Amino acid sequence: MLYAAQRRRCAVYTRPLARLIEQLQRLPGIGPKSAQRLALYLLNRPEAEIQTLAQALLDAKQQVGHCQVCYHLSAEPVCEVCSNPNRDQQTICVVADSRDLIAIERTREYRGRYHVLGGVISPMDGIGPESLTIQPLVQRVHREKTHEVILAIGPSIEGETTTLYLSQLLKPFTKVTRIAFGLPVGGELEYADEVTLAKALEGRREVE
Amino acid sequence: MVGFFSIAPVAVVYLQRLHLRQFRNYAEQWVEFVAPKTILVGDNAQGKSNLLEAVELLATLRSHRTSRDGDLVRSAQDCAQITGWIDRAAGPLELSLSLRRVGRRTLVRSGETLRRQLDGLGSLNAVEFSSLDLDLVRGGPEQRRRWLDGLVMQLEPIYAHLLRQYERVLRQRNALLRDWAKQRRQGQALSDRAAELAIWDAQLAATGTRLIRRRARAIARLAPLASRWHGAISGRVETLTLTYAPNVAIAPDVWQLPALEEARAIEATLLAQIRDQAEIEQYQGTSLVGPHRDEVTLAVDDAPAKQYGSQGQQRTLVLALKLAELCAIEAVVGEPPLLLLDDVLAELDLARQNQLLGAIADRFQTIVTTTHLGAFDARWLDSAQVLTVRSGEIVA
Repeated sequence: MLYAAQRRRCAVYTRPLARLIEQLQRLPGIGPKSAQRLALYLLNRPEAEIQTLAQALLDAKQQVGHCQVCYHLSAEPVCEVCSNPNRDQQTICVVADSRDLIAIERTREYRGRYHVLGGVISPMDGIGPESLTIQPLVQRVHREKTHEVILAIGPSIEGETTTLYLSQLLKPFTKVTRIAFGLPVGGELEYADEVTLAKALEGRREVE
Repeated sequence: MVGFFSIAPVAVVYLQRLHLRQFRNYAEQWVEFVAPKTILVGDNAQGKSNLLEAVELLATLRSHRTSRDGDLVRSAQDCAQITGWIDRAAGPLELSLSLRRVGRRTLVRSGETLRRQLDGLGSLNAVEFSSLDLDLVRGGPEQRRRWLDGLVMQLEPIYAHLLRQYERVLRQRNALLRDWAKQRRQGQALSDRAAELAIWDAQLAATGTRLIRRRARAIARLAPLASRWHGAISGRVETLTLTYAPNVAIAPDVWQLPALEEARAIEATLLAQIRDQAEIEQYQGTSLVGPHRDEVTLAVDDAPAKQYGSQGQQRTLVLALKLAELCAIEAVVGEPPLLLLDDVLAELDLARQNQLLGAIADRFQTIVTTTHLGAFDARWLDSAQVLTVRSGEIVA
């Protein structure tokens, strides 16, 4: 069925346009209809604007790499968080990828530093501990004499496995904590789904 | 529809209306259920079982006939939809399941799209009995596990989530073991993954324990009901024993412990077994210990049911299991589930039909399919709504 749709498109679109749609469609969250809409929109823009877009894509790809310390996306060898002297050097928050780091930064609650693993352990996808930045993390904790490592990895099966693996690895060297899971703030208890409620019950604590 | 006005007033029709769109061989069909018993009559391959399957899907989100949503969508269409109007003690609700040839399902309950589909489980409960269920006696352990899982899901909807978690751990762990075994065969230097495997062992034991406890609890509830029904149907000459046989041997006294200690003891047993089998597992490259290898044993007078008796006797046994399931769900949920009888009623002799009729009385809304009305006891026909199905349409 998909093939039929593709064949139809080749007949309708001129070749360069078909190629653009094809490329856009590879982006996450973009289906055939959105790809067509974006492509036709782009065609209507002035050439200078398209140049800017193309250049921005290339620049980002060529200039953005990983921070040497925490592996967050960064154009500099050391990222802004790691080079900021006002941040707590003794606390490391471990996240699966840069998107999670950005989400936590937005809260403006956390003043320590980060470590980006680059994924979670998943043998099915061929991702073992050695494919993540776990060795550098251990070395970092050793070197920086970290006081606390906060594990902030989502509670999927793979995330949970990664959390357990890291806590066993790091416990001999430092205090290891993990973020809590449970009810969204402002949410009503009766509307929470069962799985979340069960998790929240599991992580209950004594009232201080 | 003869005699439909004579139904006792206590009878409740839980599923009141059903709408099918592009589902299997139905283009568009409304069904109104006006009596506690509905008989769908028609030739083979007209769509009777498809209609039961639609009800089963709304209740359990699974079909016993297929695991691929694409099979459920009418040919040359992209999306099928099943909508049911349900009236229960908790109030009326509308449940709508959309199935796609490509892409994921959506489940909408009274206008709200459920982010987690298992939240929709329990809106409608149903027990299905078809000729395929004879495999419960004759088939392999996986048939009985699947049946048991379906039952536990209806008793405790969160089980669907726990089962998915366990299956995920199992797949990941198997991938790791397979990888390891491959390296071994190819004579490569083995990377040290013992620490990683230990975490998956712990995950398997933790998620597996949740399944084992819930399965044990369900069977404990079901077993006495099943023997009682079997006694009633077979005339009390033979005793049916239903036993949960987990793949890891759990000491009988463990089940007497308080909940938390019971869980810990089972988890420890699982872990110990996993360690015992570690070398064989690493050699074979797959997980050999855990509830994915559980069994439910059926024995009649202490002899395995598989070798027992005629087809008729095996059918009696399955009927007893289904009636037990019906009562267990009613006891736990507080309301009687729907009973879906796919082509099996006419195969029962009149005495067994009467047993069944007496058992369900007007308490359970029942939908029955059949190719001919001739084999039915007159009492069935008198109180039932009869619908004729012809090539994907209800014609009368």
